Amino acid sequence: MSLEVKGCRELQSEVIARDLCTLCGACVGMCPYLVAYRGRIVALDECNLAQGRCYAFCPRTSLDLDLLSQTVFGVPYAADELGTVQEIVIARARDEGIRSKAQFGGTVTALASFALDQGLIDSAVLTASDEDMLPSGTAAANAAQILGCAGSNFAAAPTLAAFNRHSAGDAQSIGVVAIPCQALALANMRASPLENRNNIDKLKLVIGLFCTWALRYEGLARFLAQKVPLNRIVRFDIPPPPANLFQVFTDSTRIDIPLDDVRPFIRPACDVCIDMTAEFADISVGAAEGVRGWNTLIIRSHAGRELVEAARAKGIIETAPLPEQNLAHLKEASLLKKKRGLRKVIETSGSEDDLLYLKLTSEAVKGLLS
Amino acid sequence: MTSITAYEPGASQLLMGNEAIARGALEAGVGFASAYPGTPSSEIIGSLAEVAGEMGIYVEWSVNEKVALEAAAAASFAGVRAIVAMKQNGLNVASDFLMTLNLTGTVAGLVLVLCDDPAALSSTNEQDSRPIAKWADLPLLEPATFQEAKDMTKWAFELSEEIKNVCLIRSVTRVSHARGDVRLGEPMPPGRQARFASTTVGQFTSMFVPVKHSLLHQKLNKTREIFESSPFNWYAGPEKPELLIVTCGSGWYYSLEAVKTLGLESSVGILKLGTTWPLPEKLVQQHLARTDKVLVVEEVDPFLEGNLKELVGDTFSALGPLTFYGKRSGHLPSFGELDPDRVMGAVSSVLGRERAAVDPEYAKKAQALTGGLVQARMIGFCAGCPHRATLWSVKNALKLDGRGGFVTGDIGCYTMGLGPTGFFQLKTTQAMGSGAGLACGFGKLGRLGFSQPVLAVCGDSTFFHAAIPALINGVYNQSNFTLIILDNSATAMTGFQPHPGTGASAVGEPAPKVDLEALCGSLGIRVEVADPFDLQDTTPKLLDLMQDDRGVRVLISRRKCALVRAREEKAAYKVRVDSEKCRGESCGCARLCTRVFQCPGLVWDSESQTAKIDEVICSGCGVCADICPASAIIREVA
Amino acid sequence: MEGKDPLNVIVTGVGGQGNVLISQLMGRALVRAGYHVTIGETYGASQRGGPVMSHLRVSRQSQYGPLIPQGQADVVLGLEPVETLRVLGQYGNPGVTAITNSRPVYPLAVAIGTAHYPSVEEIVKALEELSIRAWLINATDVAIEMGAPILANIIMVGALVGAGVLPLAAEEFELELRESLPADRLDLNLKAFRRGLAEAKAR
Repeated sequence: MSLEVKGCRELQSEVIARDLCTLCGACVGMCPYLVAYRGRIVALDECNLAQGRCYAFCPRTSLDLDLLSQTVFGVPYAADELGTVQEIVIARARDEGIRSKAQFGGTVTALASFALDQGLIDSAVLTASDEDMLPSGTAAANAAQILGCAGSNFAAAPTLAAFNRHSAGDAQSIGVVAIPCQALALANMRASPLENRNNIDKLKLVIGLFCTWALRYEGLARFLAQKVPLNRIVRFDIPPPPANLFQVFTDSTRIDIPLDDVRPFIRPACDVCIDMTAEFADISVGAAEGVRGWNTLIIRSHAGRELVEAARAKGIIETAPLPEQNLAHLKEASLLKKKRGLRKVIETSGSEDDLLYLKLTSEAVKGLLS
Repeated sequence: MTSITAYEPGASQLLMGNEAIARGALEAGVGFASAYPGTPSSEIIGSLAEVAGEMGIYVEWSVNEKVALEAAAAASFAGVRAIVAMKQNGLNVASDFLMTLNLTGTVAGLVLVLCDDPAALSSTNEQDSRPIAKWADLPLLEPATFQEAKDMTKWAFELSEEIKNVCLIRSVTRVSHARGDVRLGEPMPPGRQARFASTTVGQFTSMFVPVKHSLLHQKLNKTREIFESSPFNWYAGPEKPELLIVTCGSGWYYSLEAVKTLGLESSVGILKLGTTWPLPEKLVQQHLARTDKVLVVEEVDPFLEGNLKELVGDTFSALGPLTFYGKRSGHLPSFGELDPDRVMGAVSSVLGRERAAVDPEYAKKAQALTGGLVQARMIGFCAGCPHRATLWSVKNALKLDGRGGFVTGDIGCYTMGLGPTGFFQLKTTQAMGSGAGLACGFGKLGRLGFSQPVLAVCGDSTFFHAAIPALINGVYNQSNFTLIILDNSATAMTGFQPHPGTGASAVGEPAPKVDLEALCGSLGIRVEVADPFDLQDTTPKLLDLMQDDRGVRVLISRRKCALVRAREEKAAYKVRVDSEKCRGESCGCARLCTRVFQCPGLVWDSESQTAKIDEVICSGCGVCADICPASAIIREVA
Repeated sequence: MEGKDPLNVIVTGVGGQGNVLISQLMGRALVRAGYHVTIGETYGASQRGGPVMSHLRVSRQSQYGPLIPQGQADVVLGLEPVETLRVLGQYGNPGVTAITNSRPVYPLAVAIGTAHYPSVEEIVKALEELSIRAWLINATDVAIEMGAPILANIIMVGALVGAGVLPLAAEEFELELRESLPADRLDLNLKAFRRGLAEAKAR
């Protein structure tokens, strides 16, 4: 597959119709044609352009990972377990209020608020859920709004639609909290060869989130509605293995659902994903397995390093070395996702020479699959 | 323009075919006229409505064709001459009543005018109505000229009273919607006292059907005798023509022109028949005996052709061998319209003559010079049409819903919603009311695996005409669909005739206004009202109705027809395009307004690469301002 | 054109230009002058941007059918230039007179940018080569100057009558205007008709 930029029609036939859409939202919010509606990207009318930003930005159309890595980090794509890494630590917010509200260590909330506070960004685009737990992107301009977005939803959200809309406005420096496919799309925006750009130059910070998969909202909502009215749900959680549970919290109760009951709602686009750790973010954050109340924090870019160091110096977060066996486990998990994703890609296309949306050398493929 | 009642003895006046028919009725002293509008029939009752007060007659737009015929039959039963007009599809609605009215017969003259639309210029089918005459054993007259349109109508009342039954007149678009000079007679006021009296037992009932059927045949035989000497039938041509053209209605002028243009006056004769059922058999046989080659020229089906052959079959020994040419032989099409060129082609072909229709040199030059310059003018919704706005919301709601929902369509301006200016939303269009009727069926397929949302659309006039029974059926049988009533407060397609929802009568007087919301609401179903120009309100409302997914729901999408608004009120907005903001063809718009929304008030200026407003065409509805992704279309309160 | 029987005139334009009205006015005036007249109208979709064509057939001897055979038009009166070309292509012949308004009414395909409208040069060239006499008249511009673009139709009738191709004197048409139009619209229409006559005289 070449790096040719095509248009909306091809986005629909090559990505959406083939169930490769991650619902990142990168194609939404720039034109009147594509909208996100309850977990789907919908084309309201046919756009007849041969080339479009929708196609160029999509993380499931031809991805030149080397080009993206050069654009974001100035180095070629690592093609290893974790991508470009400067340092890996465990971290948590110092503020207990944040920690109690957030999943795990509250690092994301603390760093995003800090970036706002420091004027590194003037607003942050994050994901929030409505009363029916339908997630969507939202722009936050203060710490309280950021804290309101804390916690995981697990249903895929078109967060980048909010980035596209928000960046078209008065905001000048924007941070985005992104799952891996969204971080990829943001890198795609930076690397886009199209003359007609969005306002990607306003993007100053990407905080990536580890992600193994995301769920289809419609399916999940229909399933959950049989158990509890959606508007009573406050948050979801997936406790660390071996629990194998999907937990649904209301104000007063917790409903434990076997994780296998929820798996059917995993978006097929996640099956072909090879990025667990948001390799194209400035920093990536996930749960630190086995270290309760802490996050794993991967510092990838210069900007990421500066932010983490300043936050550490000002006492916003605290960090500690990542235990050796945790690092090994993280790499193993990430590699496992890459292997699964690649195998699914090859199974779908029927050939090692056709990686659907990925552009990787055959050495890289061999290396990852070995 | 002067009215159809003007009269100056001996003078001629230019009349539309439909006006000539109306005038004929006035000259016959008609007292009652009713119809449901339908192209090409509407002007018959429409022009009578204009003079109803002056002439002291009663004229109504009925709710549908069946009721129109029933109402007119009542007038006939009460001794008042009555006329009913309908297009071919309307006859199908009225035929249930007609097929027993023929048995009971009539009292005062009752004339039913059927206006067919060959080539379906303004119809959903191309039905030839004439077989109903044979089916119902009723006399059929076919005017060929405007003079005949008037004179036949006048005489049809006489005939109807003589045989005490309905008399049918069949017109076509090229008679009804053409104009010609007509010598006028004197209009007569009705001058009869209306009174109903059943003089024999069961006279107006379905008692003694076989007896009445037999009586009907006697009436038909009597009619045939009368037709033998009708002045509406004549022969022109040589004593022994090489070819005899038998023609009726619109075929007469085309045949005449063909013979003249081809210079065949000495070898081709024309038998022109004005009374085509029952055939005046003696007259016809006498003329068939002149020749051995017969070409039948008629629109649309080979009705006359078949009846002639039937007659020849009965009298074969007397006539000798005859070769028939026409639709069965393939010399003329049994679909679409006839025209002088087609008839010339048929005559030339039968006689084996060469004929170049147009100077071939000129045709070649014309093709070379104009071929690339002349584009088709596609029809579509007018600027500011509420249907475009409603269907925009329908399209978006169906796309967002994503379950493969679709629209069953109906008959009216909004039928054009099957094309680009309605975003190809209508997937079916058959008969009046059948959008809702089809939806009833689709909406019951759930247990057979069907899961698509169903939307039916119909206009306000169509709702009253035939959608109400379908709606009630849906409620009673617990079907699952949403009916969208496109209430533009007019019967717009046929010329803005009033209807039960408009609050005005046919003659322009105030009339009770039937309340759509109350009527639908009385069925105990969910009824919503939306302003289609408010896209932000209409789309979610539609989505919500669609996803309600149980039972029948109604959305009344209410906004006056743009053409009516243009007459009655000032434009709401002055609309302009900020060309600085217009994104044109670039990514982020790709000409949504001119390419997709396609309002004729919006023009793509390829020079400046921006959209523009055509101020002469723009109706100032302002809807386009809401779809522009760049807020480049600006509407200011006018 | 004097003496041609029947005289075949096609009035062509787009829905809303007042084609049917002027055909009727001419037809009524000709009936008053003792002619047999037939007008065939094709206007199924006239209010919705479709082409509208009236076939006017004028004869001393008898009434003719409502449709003119192909290649048999004697005069084409166009309210819209491309519609005039369309009619010439089907009904024209080397002896036809073509008098047309110069102002385009864009078809939807042109308005929405999927088709191009021909240039004035292309139109003039085609008109001249396909007729024995071709007049292009800025009737809409004159009408706008007079205060109402719709008057273009009456101006065009003025040009037609002024060209002497109809067996109809200017006074006879003016009489028809007086008979048919309401008083408040008469003066402007008479003025428009005379502007058309003047256009013809200037040629």
